[in-house]
Amino acid sequence: MATIHLEQVGHSYGSAVYALEKTDILFEDGKTYALLGPSGCGKTTMLNVISGLLYPSDGRVIVGGKDVTRMPTAKRNIAQVFQFPVIYQSKTVYENLAFPLRCRGWDKARIAPRVAEIAELLGLTARLGQSARRLTADEKQLVSLGRGLVRNDVSALLMDEPLTVIDPHMKFDLRRRIKQASDKTRHTVVYVTHDQNEAMTFADEVLVMSAGRVVQRGTPQQLFESPCNRYVGNFIGSPGMNFLSVERDGDRLLWQGFPVFSDERVGRLAPGAELMVGIRPEHVAFAKDGVTGIPAVVQGVQHHGNVDVIDAVIGSERLKVKARSSLAVRDGPLRIVLPVERTRLYVDGTLLF
Amino acid sequence: MDQTGLRFYKSSFLLPGLLVLLAIILFPLVFTIRVSLSGWDAISPGLNWAGVRNYVIVFGDRRFWEAMLRLSGMAIGTVLVQYVLGFALALLVWREVLFRRFFRVLFLIPMMTTPVVMSVIWRTIFHESLGPANDFLGLFGLGPYPWLTSANWAVAAVMLVEIWQWTPFMFLLLLAGLLSLPREPFLAAAIDGAGPIRTFLNVTFPMLAPVSIGALIIRLIEASKIMETVYVLTSGGPGTATETAGYYIYIRGLRDFEIGYAAALSITYLVVMIVLMTVIAKLLVRVLVGRSA
Repeated sequence: MATIHLEQVGHSYGSAVYALEKTDILFEDGKTYALLGPSGCGKTTMLNVISGLLYPSDGRVIVGGKDVTRMPTAKRNIAQVFQFPVIYQSKTVYENLAFPLRCRGWDKARIAPRVAEIAELLGLTARLGQSARRLTADEKQLVSLGRGLVRNDVSALLMDEPLTVIDPHMKFDLRRRIKQASDKTRHTVVYVTHDQNEAMTFADEVLVMSAGRVVQRGTPQQLFESPCNRYVGNFIGSPGMNFLSVERDGDRLLWQGFPVFSDERVGRLAPGAELMVGIRPEHVAFAKDGVTGIPAVVQGVQHHGNVDVIDAVIGSERLKVKARSSLAVRDGPLRIVLPVERTRLYVDGTLLF
Repeated sequence: MDQTGLRFYKSSFLLPGLLVLLAIILFPLVFTIRVSLSGWDAISPGLNWAGVRNYVIVFGDRRFWEAMLRLSGMAIGTVLVQYVLGFALALLVWREVLFRRFFRVLFLIPMMTTPVVMSVIWRTIFHESLGPANDFLGLFGLGPYPWLTSANWAVAAVMLVEIWQWTPFMFLLLLAGLLSLPREPFLAAAIDGAGPIRTFLNVTFPMLAPVSIGALIIRLIEASKIMETVYVLTSGGPGTATETAGYYIYIRGLRDFEIGYAAALSITYLVVMIVLMTVIAKLLVRVLVGRSA
């Protein structure tokens, strides 16, 4: 268990542009972090820098107060789970789980109870005697994880998209088992994924990355409610945040002629800036009786189980709305409300308040 | 177009391949079987009918079975050495090493030379009084050795040349296999704390098992046909010390001109080889991949 501190760490492959821009990042002890971003945004590079599979071209990596920047992986006390399950094909599940301990010269009497404990934790007890090659993909992935957990010297657990190649119906169960195991062992966990659901449900804190940079860092709720810029707003949520071009009228902001926001700070904004209002599709409401609302025309409804995603047109702009499917919204005119406490103001693409 | 017409149309595309197959495999095979049932020799050439008389003689032909046994020993021996050497060389130039490309090409040169030319050169090298092999060993106070004139040394010489020529093939296949392996298992092994030997035994070797089986089988089949080396280097001698099945069949067929009998030998050889190779392939899979495969 240890904090991981990336001090001004950056990396570029050869003479190419930085795959990971120089930054300071601190992962606190015992917390679970998710690195979230599209392919090629530098998440795996960052993970490999932490695990030592890659030496960064700039900066220092400090794990538990010790500078490990140039230390080989094997000496770093780090466990890593890869995208593709890695097992030792010729060995049984038991031998697989015991392997890291054998490499560390533990004697048999000590190995057996430790392996049994980890197998119990991961629900693999019944599989111990089987050949590892015969397991299903999700069980193999658990064995990969188990080989990390079985060691008592692990200071951090790194996972590189561990659920990507797992069948959808097994993902849920596997995610639960991984989460349970990591909750019990309280390792510092860094979890790389491009799946926002995984990141949001798994992590205490999410780091959204783009083009080698951490764009925003925060709890899943913070990312959802106040994305710091349009990129995060679009990336998080399904569908992403609505960004509406607004015009200033004194202290008020008008969208398609309707007032949507009013604050004295609006009046102090420099002229000429691009103003946008962001609102989550989940937060758009329908006007109740006695409220005027904004007239919209529904032009399509997608059914997603118990919610519908509604495509509405207001003036020259489109708006996505998420509503319970029991409301049975149909194509045609409708009146909507944008609750002020849920609207965020973006100036030149960046969150203002 | 109706169904039958369409089927004929589709099948007709198989014709070129089928014709070639007929011409180069099926016809010679069937013809050889027919010849083996005849008494075709230098005195009475032609396809008369001799029944299974040739096969009866084959079963009592000590020289043939001795040649088969010798061949098996030589083939298995050389292929195993080739495998170990080839694997070692492949591991050597697999990772980032200096002059990697140069070594990769260098190791392939023996395979690219013509077997007969190469055997002639080796015959010169092994020459008892004039060859550089004994000269060189003489520098260390060893020898001179009767490379090609004593039974055991001749077998060793033939095997040595075979190994020298075909290790590159093993090297090539295993290197290709190594280069196609995914990176993660090696990273995982490093994280688990495995050293180079543990990594080799638990990661590299098991993952390369399918390639290994393929390479071993291909080489065993090729090695069973060993011919040029024997022909040029020792002509099967001294006595019959290096005579292999293929060379013996050649002697009976094309030197003694007992075409019918040689055909019977060939067919027997073919059947024995098919059976042996099938058994060996199954055994290899079981040993290298494990029972479940």
